[in-house]
Amino acid sequence: MSSPGRELDLGLGLLDHQLVDRDGRNCGKVDDLELTAVPGGEPEVASILVGGAAWRGRGMLGRLAAALSGSAVRIPWSEVEDVSSVVTLKQPAQQLRLGRGDDRAARLVRRLPGS
Amino acid sequence: MKQFLQIALGILSAIGGFVDIGDLVFNTQAGATFGFQLLWVVVVGVVGIIVYSEMCGRVAAISKRPVFDLVRERAGFGAGLGTLIASEVVNLMTCAAEVGGVAIVLQLLSGLPYRFLIGLGVVGIVVVSWVLPFEWLERLFGYVGLCLLVFAVAAVKVGPSWGQVAHGFVPGMHTGSHLVFLYFVVGLLGAALTPYEVYFYSSGAVEDAWGREDLRINKITSVIGYGLGAFLSFSLMILAAVLFLPRGINPQFLGTPALGAQDALGKIGLLLALVGILFAVGGAAIETSFSGAYNLAQFFGWQWGKRERPGGAPRFALTWIVIFALALAIVMTGYDPVKLTEYSVIFSVVALPLTFLPILLVANDPAYMGDSRNGRASNVLGVLYFVLILAISISAIPLLLLTNGGQG
Repeated sequence: MSSPGRELDLGLGLLDHQLVDRDGRNCGKVDDLELTAVPGGEPEVASILVGGAAWRGRGMLGRLAAALSGSAVRIPWSEVEDVSSVVTLKQPAQQLRLGRGDDRAARLVRRLPGS
Repeated sequence: MKQFLQIALGILSAIGGFVDIGDLVFNTQAGATFGFQLLWVVVVGVVGIIVYSEMCGRVAAISKRPVFDLVRERAGFGAGLGTLIASEVVNLMTCAAEVGGVAIVLQLLSGLPYRFLIGLGVVGIVVVSWVLPFEWLERLFGYVGLCLLVFAVAAVKVGPSWGQVAHGFVPGMHTGSHLVFLYFVVGLLGAALTPYEVYFYSSGAVEDAWGREDLRINKITSVIGYGLGAFLSFSLMILAAVLFLPRGINPQFLGTPALGAQDALGKIGLLLALVGILFAVGGAAIETSFSGAYNLAQFFGWQWGKRERPGGAPRFALTWIVIFALALAIVMTGYDPVKLTEYSVIFSVVALPLTFLPILLVANDPAYMGDSRNGRASNVLGVLYFVLILAISISAIPLLLLTNGGQG
């Protein structure tokens, strides 16, 4: 975290924000958060959940969307480099199993001329 | 010259965004039905789009976040997804209407069969969008679309009573059916304040990598670009008021305004008008399909952007191609693009509040905006327009049904 001690509102400042990997590539959104209870202290963010099943906790439309898509990817909080208006990760998306939809689509699109 | 090229985004937003098939249809019909009496509505509409475009351009320049990132961050997943679905339906309907408009103009120019020209038009636009970089798309469609200025020349040439024109800028209810009048007020505002304009403008600003140093160009771009759009709207309405109203012509065809230019300026007027309409409507087709792809990619956090080669933002590229394919399928059914336009404008009004509220909230948020957040003028206007938009979004569909689509 680049600005230690800065207060972060998890609802407004983290949830639903853009995830960007080490190389500046967009690789999903902060779709949900997993918190762990700390005995005698404030709960801490354990991991970020991305895609599919992570939408289940996000309202009626979210449940529907989750039912139609696959599993979520779990990113441990230790993989987070920085939180600004985007959440920057320490590794390339591929190593965190993110951005796989774009990778699949790229195999199709790269067959077209001029791509 | 550099400044002139820099405001290309604004020119394209004006030509393809402001003056698209919706404005061509609604302004011409408004002039033919109510004369000059609705000119003031265009002023109300254009000030609104300037206020919100400036805001989302500023947010894009400072926070680097385009509109649908904000919708997601502020409305959350559920309400954001609802907004996404509504906006995608409207984008698709509008794109289909614009594609139909392209085919109609190509038919007027060539005389070839309509369905063949739909296919040709879509393939042509997809290839151009695939091949040309973003700034060349802006320039090609924006600057060639300036042929529409022929309508301003024609409007002056037909010699309207300028006293009556000036009177049209004073808000009020005048002659004719009140409900039909209100339907046109809502339609003209809806045609001026289409949601895809702000999606495209803000995503374009992020693509053009605007920063703090571009805030001035953002102001100039939104005022000049949309001001130009309003000027063209006035011209269309004045021309229709002078030529069509006295003869009882109800302009049901996209080509009708071009006939107005021909009446005033002869063959060259007709040709310039058709070329202008072709590029304005073609530019709008690109804006709507791209807006659909921007929104989807920004909502789910994919790579997006026309700056990238298609292979670098593959789902984004596939999305806008799919939107064109669906638009093609819709128009191929033979449904009248002018009718489709009226419905898409009225439905887009319903999706507007959910688009504008996150912009207004974030433009006031110091965490995003620092010292560039809204001043008092932007907030007063922003809130006033938000209330107005809420009112028209509630009344849009009842008016559409009650007036039988403005037919009375």
